[in-house]
Amino acid sequence: MTSYLTRRLLQMVPLVIGISIIIFLILAAAPGDPVDLLLFGNPNITAEDVVRLKHLYGLDQPLHIRYVKWVWAALQGDLGYSRTYKVPVLSLIWDRVGNSLWLQIPAFLIALAVAVPVGITSALRQYSPVDYAATFFTFFGLSIPAFWFGIMMIYVFAVVHPWTALPALAWLKFPAGGFSSPGVAAGLATYVDRAHYVVLPALVLSLLFMASYTRYTRSSMLEVIRQDYIRTARAKGISELGVIQRHALRNALIPLVTIVALSIPALFSGAPLTETVFGWPGIGRLLVDAVLAGDFAVAQGVILFLAGLVIVFNLLADISYAVLDPRIRYD
Amino acid sequence: MTDLRSGTSGAVLAASLAARPEVGGEGYWQIAWRRFKKHRVAIVGASVIVLFIATAVFAPFLTRYEFDQIDLYRRKAAPSFSHPLGTDELGHDVFTRLLYAGRISLTVGFTAAFTAAVLGTLVGGVSGFYGRWLDNVLMRVTDVMFSIPALPVLIVLARYMGGSVLGIVLVLSVFAWMGTARLVRGDMLRLRTQDFADAARALGASDSRILFRHLVPNALAPVLVAGTLTVGGAILSEAGLSFLGIGIQPPTPSWGNMLQNAQDFIWTTPWLAVWPGAMIFLTVLSINFLGDGLRDALDPRLKV
Repeated sequence: MTSYLTRRLLQMVPLVIGISIIIFLILAAAPGDPVDLLLFGNPNITAEDVVRLKHLYGLDQPLHIRYVKWVWAALQGDLGYSRTYKVPVLSLIWDRVGNSLWLQIPAFLIALAVAVPVGITSALRQYSPVDYAATFFTFFGLSIPAFWFGIMMIYVFAVVHPWTALPALAWLKFPAGGFSSPGVAAGLATYVDRAHYVVLPALVLSLLFMASYTRYTRSSMLEVIRQDYIRTARAKGISELGVIQRHALRNALIPLVTIVALSIPALFSGAPLTETVFGWPGIGRLLVDAVLAGDFAVAQGVILFLAGLVIVFNLLADISYAVLDPRIRYD
Repeated sequence: MTDLRSGTSGAVLAASLAARPEVGGEGYWQIAWRRFKKHRVAIVGASVIVLFIATAVFAPFLTRYEFDQIDLYRRKAAPSFSHPLGTDELGHDVFTRLLYAGRISLTVGFTAAFTAAVLGTLVGGVSGFYGRWLDNVLMRVTDVMFSIPALPVLIVLARYMGGSVLGIVLVLSVFAWMGTARLVRGDMLRLRTQDFADAARALGASDSRILFRHLVPNALAPVLVAGTLTVGGAILSEAGLSFLGIGIQPPTPSWGNMLQNAQDFIWTTPWLAVWPGAMIFLTVLSINFLGDGLRDALDPRLKV
């Protein structure tokens, strides 16, 4: 296992270098470096100031030197300084990651809680109406623009909610956006309040993942129930439920673990639109605001963070696969 | 693995059989067409796409307004006889903009997917054909591109390359070719060792002739399927970027930028938010159904 892990880590080195180069280039090649942006709307700055500032920030040096300096600084936790928020980028990101998790974790759990049972049922009753409905649902989830779905949900659950005329359903309306109500007492009340704000964005964010997890669960289950060992289990006289639970499900979920691990970074990367629609102060929203404000140090930091997630979860997916499936040799 | 292409007399099929009548049996594309016709949802999807393309192309004949014609006396007007879907906050006729936006959104989707397919085929073809260090380098580049969080990077790139249709197409296609490259590479590894490739070489064909004339045509089916699904993804990405205000810039309408302000007016004029999103949704849904039908018809291996 240790040697497998070492090899896997070594293989990642070129990947990490490649990713960092591309991220660096995308943002270094952006027209308008921080000093150019500073000039904007500041008539008092002289040409000498510009030269001095560019020299001070090292912007007059060749690209490869700047890249090495940038990597060196990033390794020490220095991702630069936000022009608009006037704080170090890293602390800004850490502040927002917590908020993002408030949205990502419920969305993730909703997606799994729906997808696994639906996918399994769909596979066990292949070509039944249930299967067709589930398949149609996955197409629906993969095709709908999340931000538009969000706006529609806001319209239905925050603007009109006609059913709230019935006292029994009066609770079924949600805030149109935001993160928490002002002046809510600490402790349990905070969580109850927060839950209200989480429902709509989490539902919207989860839809895409729900659809793809359903797809994978279904195809993985279909694959497994055709195997010989399932026939053997049935031949031994095990009840159908036992066959499914003990033999089919456990094997079908192994590839799903990998898929799920690989998709977790996408929960973060896919969130900018959802977070923007719902005014959720997460990391995706931070990225959008930073890009719109021309605060490229923040944008670079966020993208670096997201790319880091991709790499870490890639590794975790590999390891989990090797651990869960004894047929995978890792020596 | 029972692959259609190797199942029927070798892999020479795709390029030549389309034109030549088959002796004693159906050709590859005939089989594919027969299978495709049975996929009813895909036929519906294809029809919807054709319909939307037609309304976009013939937009000037379907409406009496210009897409940038504003009427400040009739802003945010409710649907009526003269404005069937109402007007937006500047008094544009929403129905007119919906038609013209289709031109932009569909053009972006199809061009970006086409460019990505060409790029992916080139990279995958060269990678699989030449193998060795070139393959290694190209596949590592593919891995790197796959690992970069696409939407966030697109948001940054669109900020200074977006605005124009060409810029958005370029940005979208640069982040959409990797899947195709991997598919084509896999096919190349298999195809390049087959007898007809050796035969072409023995006849003195150059590398590029063997690759693009003999091998690539045999790998086009999965490219077509992947390309179709990319169209949907590209339309969704363009819509998202334009919604954020960093994609296609008004007054040029796209389904995404029509939604840009719609959320602000959701309390007063909710219908503004409905139609552009519904068009995106229907288009992408139809394309995904079409892609599913193509996959079933052309390449059973790809079934998920």
